[in-house]
Parts: sequence; C-alpha cells; structure tokens
Amino acid sequence: MRRAIDDAEAVARSRDGDLDAYAVLVARYTLRAHRAAFLLGAGEESDDVVQEAFVKAFRHLSRFRAGEPFAPWLLRIVANETRNLARSRRRRAALALRVSAAEPGGAAADGPADEVLAAERRTHLLAAVNTLPDRERQVLVCRYFLDLSEAETAQVLEWPLGSVKSRTFRALNRLRGRLVAGQQNGASRG
Amino acid sequence: MEAELRELGRELDVPPAASLTAAVRQRLEAPAARRRRMAPWGTGAAARWRPAWRAALVVLAVLAALLVATPQGRAVVTHVLRFAGIELQQEPGPAPSPRSSAALPGERRMSLAEARQHVSFPILVPAALGRPGEVVVSDGGRVASLIYRRTPYGQVRVDEFAGHLDPVLFQKFVHLADVTQVKVNGRRGLWIKGPHELLYITRDGTPAAASARLTTGNTLIWGTRQVALRLEGNLTRTAALAIASSAR
Repeated sequence: MRRAIDDAEAVARSRDGDLDAYAVLVARYTLRAHRAAFLLGAGEESDDVVQEAFVKAFRHLSRFRAGEPFAPWLLRIVANETRNLARSRRRRAALALRVSAAEPGGAAADGPADEVLAAERRTHLLAAVNTLPDRERQVLVCRYFLDLSEAETAQVLEWPLGSVKSRTFRALNRLRGRLVAGQQNGASRG
Repeated sequence: MEAELRELGRELDVPPAASLTAAVRQRLEAPAARRRRMAPWGTGAAARWRPAWRAALVVLAVLAALLVATPQGRAVVTHVLRFAGIELQQEPGPAPSPRSSAALPGERRMSLAEARQHVSFPILVPAALGRPGEVVVSDGGRVASLIYRRTPYGQVRVDEFAGHLDPVLFQKFVHLADVTQVKVNGRRGLWIKGPHELLYITRDGTPAAASARLTTGNTLIWGTRQVALRLEGNLTRTAALAIASSAR
C-alpha cells in the first residue's frame, strides 16, 4: 500500500513529470471538479470537461505557485473549460438545476405541514436561482453550492474580488425579491 | 437566505462522476506514443483516431480512487455507479440461485415481431449475430431478451430495456477493477470482465429474488438514445464491441 502524499508533494512530483503522483491529485479532486463543472452548466459533458481540465492543469503546473491551495486553482481551469464548452455549443451554459429526487425534502408532499412548506420554499428558491442572470447564478454556485470563499470564487471565476461581492449582493437581493413575489402570488391564489 | 442556499446546495441532483485517473494518464502519455506511431500510420485520419480510441478505453479506477474525503465521495461508494438502468455495486451480492433456473419475472417466449409489439422501446438486433434463436419478453414488456444458443462464443444473451427512463432494472455486484469504460458508436459503455452476480429490480424497486444468478463470461453494457443493452457471453472485448456496434 502506498503512503498517502499531500497535495504539495503530489504537485511538486507531478511538475517533474511523475504521472503516478498526478493520478493521486486526479483521484482526490475528480468529484469536486465534476460537481463544479456540472453546477456551472457543463451538464452531461461534465466528465469530458473535467478530463480536459486535468490534462490542461498538468500542462500548466509550472504556473502553479508552491504553497497555494490546489482546489481553487484547478476549479478555475474547470470553470474556464465549462465556459469554452458553452461558447462552442452556442447556447446558454445554464442548465436547470434540480433537487435530487432521493432527498427527503423533495417528496414531502404528504409529510407534516412545516416540511411541506419547507420543501415548497426550497422549490421556489431553486426556481429563482435557475432564472438568475448567468453571472449572478455562477457566483451563487461558487459561494453556496461549492462552498468557496469570496477570494476563492474570485480566483475560480477570474473576476475582481469587488465583482464577486457586488454580484453576490445583487443576486441575493434578486432572490429575496422573487421569493416575496412568489409568496404573494401564492397567497392571492390560495 | 445564505444558509438556505447552502442547504439547497446539498440537495442538488448531481450525477455520479466517472473516474478519470486512467483517461487523464493516457492523454498525458499520448503525445509520445503518437509521435512513435506517426511513421507507420501516416498522417491520415487513422493516425488521428487511434490515440482517440485508445483514450476512450478508460479504466475505471479502483474504489480507492473514489474514497475522496467528501460526503459525495461516500455517496458514490454506496451505490458505486449507475449506468443506463444498471446499478453497479462493489459488495458481495445475494447468493445466486443454486439451480440454473434463475429467471426474470413473467418471462414470455414469442417471435421477434410479437416482442416488438409488447415493448415500448425499439428492439435492436446485432447484425453480427443474426436472428436470435429465442426472444423472451419479461415483466410486462419492461425487458426484451435475445438468446443465441449456438454462436462461435457459446450461448450469448442480449437484454434490452428503456434504461434511460427506468431508474434501475439490474443490480450488478462487481469489483470495480473489472469494469472498464468503453465507447460504442461514440457513446459511453461499460465492459465488465468476468462473471458477477446479477439481480433484477422490479418496477416498485424491490429485487426479484428468483432472478439472482451468476453471469457467464464477460458483459458489455451500452445504450442508444432510446434503449439500453447488456450483452453477455464468452466474448472477448473486441468481439463484444463489434457485436454491439452492429446492433440495428
């Protein structure tokens, strides 16, 4: 059994052309990269996007600064590949996100009233996220669905930190506005 | 609002990721290999396609690669891989039926033409195998099976179903090391080396105990837009891929 190596050591050895060391990084970050690609809009092509990103990342390892965290550096390449894909298929990158059917919240229609309400609110929230302008949606995906910090989000999306802050603020406001509007419609119907 | 978004993020439907270690490695090793091949293969389409084909023969890495320290990682380990209505699990399966009488629920023998009236998906026939010796429709038209008793590879069986619509029709209990990703007519397929336990899952999600059996030979799983197929028999990978790509 091979000794586990940390990211820094794996990067250093990969940079010297050690493909075994790079395989460790690929295995370690495939799921995170795949989740990022999928949620940023690569859809069915997420596996291909991630594969391409790993190949490019290896070739660009010389630009990686020692001591820097690997995940956001890799996710920036994943986000970039996802954008390239969107450009090449000439349609909106955005793909309607869905709540997993297996989640208890998703099928709470006959559960206790508060669960039904929570599920309903989540459905409205998701619908509102799905209709946000691309950039606002991307920033929410990075901040809340991929759990990246503001600084990491700035790195991944290649935006200035100020844009991350302002777009997050605008996106959250827009969501609040849409949720309130949705509830008022619901109330006037009921 | 932010907490709600984080919670929503945990419930989003994200399909399982394919393991990419082998594919990436092959891509990174490819440039050197391509240069070596240039001379004998020339610079035509064949020279460009061969590395692409090699790269497509992707080995799914062993479970260790999936044991990433994330909640998603653990989820992937429990239902290892779902593909075209088939769930692959890496754990010991139920004891296969000791008799050779394992059967799918409600099996009915009929002609190919009749079978096509009984199922909602197009039944594909591999031209490389010709007309099937026997056609069986099971579970009220959910599965159609083509059985070839005598082929150069012994008995060969093709199960077809609407794998893209139904959640899970079959569970396989495999060692991930025996599973390889392949391409059939440009779409993703899985090649499973060696016998493994196979179980049929009914419409309501319960396993059909009488269907449990050990498969023979090797298995190829692939799909088209409308139908998923599993091919089982004492086939080499090359033979299986040739049969699969001849399915019309």
